[in-house]
Amino acid sequence: MLHLDAVCFQHTPDTDPYRFNLSVARGTITAISGRSGSGKSTLLDLIAGFLLPSSGHLYWHDQEITALAPDKRPVTTVFQKNNLFEHRNTVDNVVVGIDPSVPSAGPAVARAREILASVGLSKFEKQRVSNLSGGQQQRVALARALIRASGVILLDEPFSALDTETRSHMLSLVRQIADQSSRAIIMVTHDINDSKAIADEHFHLAHGELQPQAR
Amino acid sequence: MLLPGLLLAGMLLLLAAGLLYQLAIQPGVESISLGTGVLRTIGWTTLQASLSTLLSLSIGVLLAWALSHRRHFFGRGVFIALLSTALVLPTLVVVLGLVTLLGRSGWLNDLLALLNGPELSPVIFGFGGILIAHGYFNASFAARSLLGRFEAIPSQQKKLARSLGLNTWQRFKLIEFPAIAASLPALATTIFLLCFTSFSIVLTLGGSPKYNTLEVSIYEAIKLDFNLGRALGLALTQLGIGAVLVAISTRFKSDNSLIATDQTDAHWGDSLPARLCQWALIVVFAMLFIAPLIAVFSDGLHSDYRAIYLNRDFQQAAVTSIVLALISTFLVVIISIAMAISFATLATNSRLGKHPAATIVIRLLSFSSALFLAIPSLVLGFGFFLLARTIGGSYTVWSVIALLTANVLMVLPFAVVTLAPAAVKAANRYDKLAFALGLNGLARWRMIESALLRREIIYIASIAFCMSLGDLGVIALFGSQDFITLPWLLYQKMGSYRTQDAAGIACFMLTLTILVFLILPMLLGRRNHATP
Repeated sequence: MLHLDAVCFQHTPDTDPYRFNLSVARGTITAISGRSGSGKSTLLDLIAGFLLPSSGHLYWHDQEITALAPDKRPVTTVFQKNNLFEHRNTVDNVVVGIDPSVPSAGPAVARAREILASVGLSKFEKQRVSNLSGGQQQRVALARALIRASGVILLDEPFSALDTETRSHMLSLVRQIADQSSRAIIMVTHDINDSKAIADEHFHLAHGELQPQAR
Repeated sequence: MLLPGLLLAGMLLLLAAGLLYQLAIQPGVESISLGTGVLRTIGWTTLQASLSTLLSLSIGVLLAWALSHRRHFFGRGVFIALLSTALVLPTLVVVLGLVTLLGRSGWLNDLLALLNGPELSPVIFGFGGILIAHGYFNASFAARSLLGRFEAIPSQQKKLARSLGLNTWQRFKLIEFPAIAASLPALATTIFLLCFTSFSIVLTLGGSPKYNTLEVSIYEAIKLDFNLGRALGLALTQLGIGAVLVAISTRFKSDNSLIATDQTDAHWGDSLPARLCQWALIVVFAMLFIAPLIAVFSDGLHSDYRAIYLNRDFQQAAVTSIVLALISTFLVVIISIAMAISFATLATNSRLGKHPAATIVIRLLSFSSALFLAIPSLVLGFGFFLLARTIGGSYTVWSVIALLTANVLMVLPFAVVTLAPAAVKAANRYDKLAFALGLNGLARWRMIESALLRREIIYIASIAFCMSLGDLGVIALFGSQDFITLPWLLYQKMGSYRTQDAAGIACFMLTLTILVFLILPMLLGRRNHATP
């Protein structure tokens, strides 16, 4: 269980403060919606450790993670764009998730291949990711999120640039990941239909706070 | 508005052809010869230019990397602005600053004497001096060019690096080097070309004919040996090599207009050792960059500057330099605007449609301005020198024509490359609206281009003024008692060891350059609220 207990943050003294309370269980998908600038990315940055709260606490299974560096947190993020090292091939982009030295062989590579197979990208292992389609690129990013042992996956509008059909496939894949790998998934989305399609819970972010929405 | 730019491009091509013709069938020159040692000169120059390029790029990459990671510190903006001046700082002024620092009785040896240390033999003359001076100018240029690439790395990639726990080297290898890699070949060939055709630095710091570049050899063949046949042979060799280098550099041309600096404040979350290393790089390079400029100011202020500035020679040189620089600036701005608007007309589908000839004419336009990168100002001056001998007439008039032409053509490649993408962008953004409102000619210029291109035009004007003010190329051939400019006067004072006078002149030139290049755009640019 990921738990945010009165996590507060303010970008500058003249901007409105945020105050977040949230609990997300393993194996569930929580959708966050809100207008541009409402603080969705700030929330994800606080969970990922790119920003530190001015007050409040973050817990993962009752262990406090508020002060941990991003790479020490049980969290991995899939962004809307710029997720991948475009000059490297697909396997390298996945294997870097568990070994930053990017080995070309060994157990880490074997594991990356397994994960790529699970997201249907076996055929593209040796391809430069810049040659893949938008949907395939996001699947590589998801594969990297999967190979990491992180309990929490943050999805920062990762499918907003994809066409309807690819987007639908990707949402099914995310649902499958949540069910099979017992990860806690938080997905920021602009589209209420995405939320309806796969989310277990839905919050709307307005005036610096998360407001539960009926499904 | 296609015609003016095309006509100007045609004139530039004609000028280049005429110059080549003049060099190729020059009457009165008994025979074209290269003389002995030309291959050795080319070999040394290639080695010198290669090492200078390697040194400049290495320092440039390190400094840009450090600056892109440390985005908030007092004086950062001023330091980066100073790095931008590297291309326009008068070469002789910086050379004088470096000699003041590193010469036998320079500041470094004074400091060592104060600390009872050993006296260092001066490294500033000879091969070492050439490398140091080239490194000074080109490392700053490289750092400024690469900083944009480093800063354009998306915030998500920085977050990704932190989230994956990549160390400093892994971040550089996986994210930062790939971000700058595309710019390196173009940057390297440009720096190589600048060092290969270096004149003032090699002339003043070389100290021995064995370090001569082809340009210095041409100068010596004309001025010292008066062997025009040899000068002609060397000039043609220089033109051939220059053309090949320009062809290579345009092949590697990278599109800087696509760079958009990441405006978010996402940072890399560097470790303490990495942060210390970045601070050390910034402090050391800032000191190395600023120290020669401070030396020039300091010596200038300690000289008898009132006597220097009241001297008739100085006043004549200052007036000549400033007037010529102003005329050159005006010509550069007018020509580059005309060519940029022609570019925009040809590159915007809404105007001509996808006409097959458009691509060819665009290439011709680019070629006509870039061509003069292959013709160093000294070779151009030599062409006019031969023309003056053939046609006759007032030597001073020929000097003015040669100097103005060289000044304009020296800046034009940079000016067109800066203005054309902005003009195309403005056209793409406002063409439909302008057509719908029936805005044409001057009305359109007032409403659209004058606002959107203002920043680029001010930048071009300041570059043109400063480069024209500091160039020693053509004046080295045409300079005389009756026709003197500031760089020529400074060179004479340095050559006759009148260091006090040289310091006063250098201080004046440096102040004028910094005022024009840094402060003028700030003052004029404030009125620009439009962003293309």
